[in-house]
Amino acid sequence: MSAPARSQVISLYKLLLTESKKFPSYNYRNYAVRRVRDAFRANRTIGDPTTVERLITEGQQTLALIQRQVTHTHLDIEQRLLMTDLGPFDIYYYSTSVWQ
Amino acid sequence: MRRREPLTPYLFRSACWVRSPFSAMASRILQQCVRSIGRPSLRLSSCNLVVRAAVAPVAAIHRPLSVAVDSRRTRWLGQSQIPSGGLLYRQYGDLPPLTLENIKDRVMYVLKLYDKISPEKLQTSSHFMRDLGLDSLDQVEIIMAMEDEFGFEIPDAEAEKLMSPEEIVQYIADKKDVYE
Repeated sequence: MSAPARSQVISLYKLLLTESKKFPSYNYRNYAVRRVRDAFRANRTIGDPTTVERLITEGQQTLALIQRQVTHTHLDIEQRLLMTDLGPFDIYYYSTSVWQ
Repeated sequence: MRRREPLTPYLFRSACWVRSPFSAMASRILQQCVRSIGRPSLRLSSCNLVVRAAVAPVAAIHRPLSVAVDSRRTRWLGQSQIPSGGLLYRQYGDLPPLTLENIKDRVMYVLKLYDKISPEKLQTSSHFMRDLGLDSLDQVEIIMAMEDEFGFEIPDAEAEKLMSPEEIVQYIADKKDVYE
């Protein structure tokens, strides 16, 4: 692997992990972190530049996906909190699976 | 997490409950103070300076009363919660000051918790790749753990040079201005 691709892959790995750790739910968070780790480990030995290029693009798309999803989840929780101002909040609070 | 609805009544109620005895006491003290100030000032309007000097101790008598009440109040609060004042306030947002020893302990602690490093083999001088058999992805994860531990971000260009615990300690000490 050439030097720029290497540093690019490492920074992509770091970004993916930091972004994955922002999921509020335990299940989503651990799944994302584990998935990122496994994918990078599985493709560790690939030396072909075009494959590396393709995988980097894929990783960048995944990064964008995770970022969208994290933002969306936070907005969703915010909305849920706003709606529950009207009713008994504790029932909502402990019944959602988001707060694990 | 924000919890809006259930907390408000509790907070309000407890605030009322706590404040009511104090407000009664406070109003009584206030009345006494107003009376003690009001009396000499009435006399002062007609009398000379000598009288004012004679009256001054009268006003002073009332001051120890409020001080006594005050100390009783703090003593009462002290029995319930606070063993000794002073120290308690500093402990919330503060960490012990960073020293090289301190940083080294924290770095080694984080590294021991990392599942791919066996704590027996770990030395301060051991190289992550040569001695511990890690790869560059593990090294990135270690650097991320250090960022979490010490609360600042390490740029990629400098992170890839940090290959042993002592280099990490040195880097953090440089960044945090710790020299001894």
